[in-house]
Amino acid sequence: MRRLVIILLAVIASAYVTLAALPAAADEGVVVTDITGRTVTLPRPAKRVLLAEGRQIIALSLLDPKPVDFIAAWLGDFRRNDSESYAQYRRKFPEIDQVPVLGIGSDGTFPVERAIEIKPDVAVLGISFAPGGRANDVARQLEAAGIPVVFTDFFVAPFEHTVASVRILGRVIGRDARADEFAEFYEPRMKRIADLVARANGPRPRVLLETHASVGDCCHAPGAGNIGRFIAFAGGDSISASVAPGPTAQLSLEYVIAANPDIYIATGGAHLKASGGLVIGPGFDPAAIRERLAAVVARPGFSGLSAVRNGRVHGLFHNIISTPLNLVAAEALARWIHPEAAREIDPDATISELNARFLAVPLQGVYWIDLK
Amino acid sequence: MWRRMIWLVLVALVALAAFIADLGTGPSRLGLGGALGGILRPDSLSGAEAAILWEVRLPQAVLAVLVGLALATAGAEMQTILDNPLASPFTLGVSSSASFGAALAIVLGIGIPGVPQTWLISANAFVFATIVVLVLQAVVRWRGSGTDILVLCGIALFFTFNALVALTQFLASQQALQQLVFWTMGSLSRASWDKVRVLALVLLVTLPFAQRAAWPMMALRLGEDRARSLGINIARLRLMALLRVSLMTSTAIAFVGTIGFVGLAGPHIARLLLGEDHRFLLPASALTGAAIMSLASVASKTIIPGVLIPIGIVTAMVGLPVFFSLIFNRRGTV
Repeated sequence: MRRLVIILLAVIASAYVTLAALPAAADEGVVVTDITGRTVTLPRPAKRVLLAEGRQIIALSLLDPKPVDFIAAWLGDFRRNDSESYAQYRRKFPEIDQVPVLGIGSDGTFPVERAIEIKPDVAVLGISFAPGGRANDVARQLEAAGIPVVFTDFFVAPFEHTVASVRILGRVIGRDARADEFAEFYEPRMKRIADLVARANGPRPRVLLETHASVGDCCHAPGAGNIGRFIAFAGGDSISASVAPGPTAQLSLEYVIAANPDIYIATGGAHLKASGGLVIGPGFDPAAIRERLAAVVARPGFSGLSAVRNGRVHGLFHNIISTPLNLVAAEALARWIHPEAAREIDPDATISELNARFLAVPLQGVYWIDLK
Repeated sequence: MWRRMIWLVLVALVALAAFIADLGTGPSRLGLGGALGGILRPDSLSGAEAAILWEVRLPQAVLAVLVGLALATAGAEMQTILDNPLASPFTLGVSSSASFGAALAIVLGIGIPGVPQTWLISANAFVFATIVVLVLQAVVRWRGSGTDILVLCGIALFFTFNALVALTQFLASQQALQQLVFWTMGSLSRASWDKVRVLALVLLVTLPFAQRAAWPMMALRLGEDRARSLGINIARLRLMALLRVSLMTSTAIAFVGTIGFVGLAGPHIARLLLGEDHRFLLPASALTGAAIMSLASVASKTIIPGVLIPIGIVTAMVGLPVFFSLIFNRRGTV
């Protein structure tokens, strides 16, 4: 655990150094070192950004009070997969409906021609578009058309890349100071979790985190990567990390019963409304969320799990994980996994402060919940 | 006759052994002895072990057997009524239409009003499979029961629904897409006692009729003219067989997703062992299908402990070696 903290701090420090070492002189344009280490020069801070991950509007929303003004075009993932959060943005910025939507939210549907036609100042792409990624042709074609490409990442390596990606975005749109301010907000809070976990003694509680929990078959759970790392970071022992060969796997119910997790966490959101799964996040009241969460743990075989018997059943808003607000998820996990040691950690207070100090569109809704 | 009887008994023993092996394997420490002991003396197990046995192992093992029986019987009947050894229960588009029904429920949440959430996907799959059957029925009534017209219509339906499934996949969010892909690969993790009961009921209704039709089906196997000269109403025979096939296939698919290969290979393996006589071929196909499903279930649980590999992938992996060895060891024609 200590090692993880040291690595974390080292990475954060190195990202800080690389970025701080690049003075942005107005006359020689803006120089950005992106997450893959490429150096990109823009003539001036970008006014029109192509967002290849629509949900990164949240990162823009941290950096500027009018995030929608910066979006020249975006992919449809935020609109489609997080309809309730999108509605919150629309209430404040009705013009968001006019932002051109490229593709329907996956990198396989990216219409490069349309993107070139829109001619943004810069294209901010996720890591799946990077060289060696699934859709690296897109970046090549955009650059051939004279559109600078910058890579960020909030998904593959959230611990190493979250703050660095916010800084990259801040540099691109000329909001460096604001990005630094966010880093100063984010890093100590993450460190507080790491310290607290380092101090916690005794065996790590066993955790089952089921992604997109439904009332259908059990149990899709993450491997050791992205969300799985949050569990380890918050001091839990994920029962799926050791058995899932890929980023996600379907655990057998028998394995779940035999592993008998101490804590059960379901992730969900508005996208599960139709299928009877866990709804949570903006647009749902606690009673409705708890009703769905109760239905999820009422599936066959769950009643005997010690997590269910001891009332350690929780729900988490899935879409918060791959954004800069993953801090809230980390804090909620720490509270659930180490309720005693993490008493002073309050994700709601963090949300309030994020709303007051940073977010153009505040987080309003239930993002984490306990069944009891 | 005696030889066939002996083979039939042997196949039944293999199926039984596979079922028992399925019951005795899993990622937890509950072994075969514990599982069998738990069935005979329910108080011999701890709470967690009892949950594993009664909520997971038994329903999944029994459902595997029933699905194997249903798909392989349906496959044997299909191969006969279409007079085509490459036919399977999925030939006429029943599986792709069921997949489309499931896709509508998974991706768009569209389903039959009033159906509880846990049954929504199954109900949708069943309804769409039934639609295909009704279309095929209409074709048989309207254009006669020639195999060519049936197969061509089936292929057209197959491609129509595949395109519709692809369209829903294209529109799906990543989470729904993952769920849909898993559904189409087939899984026993959706087993429950309710589903076991429904499928068992369907088999009780269809299997006796299939067995009763064994003799005219046998005649059909020898050619349409020969069957006609024996006074068999071929159109009616095909229609009833098609009804049985659809009912068995659509119910099985609705509960476990599309599990390929069992319906094609089960009857073939049975045919290679026992020959063409339908009276023996049908039960042997059914038992072979059950054995393939049970063995595939064992493999899907044990390849990566704790993780379920979709059983549709495994059926092919388990069945293929058997299939190949039988083909190459056999002299003469398939």
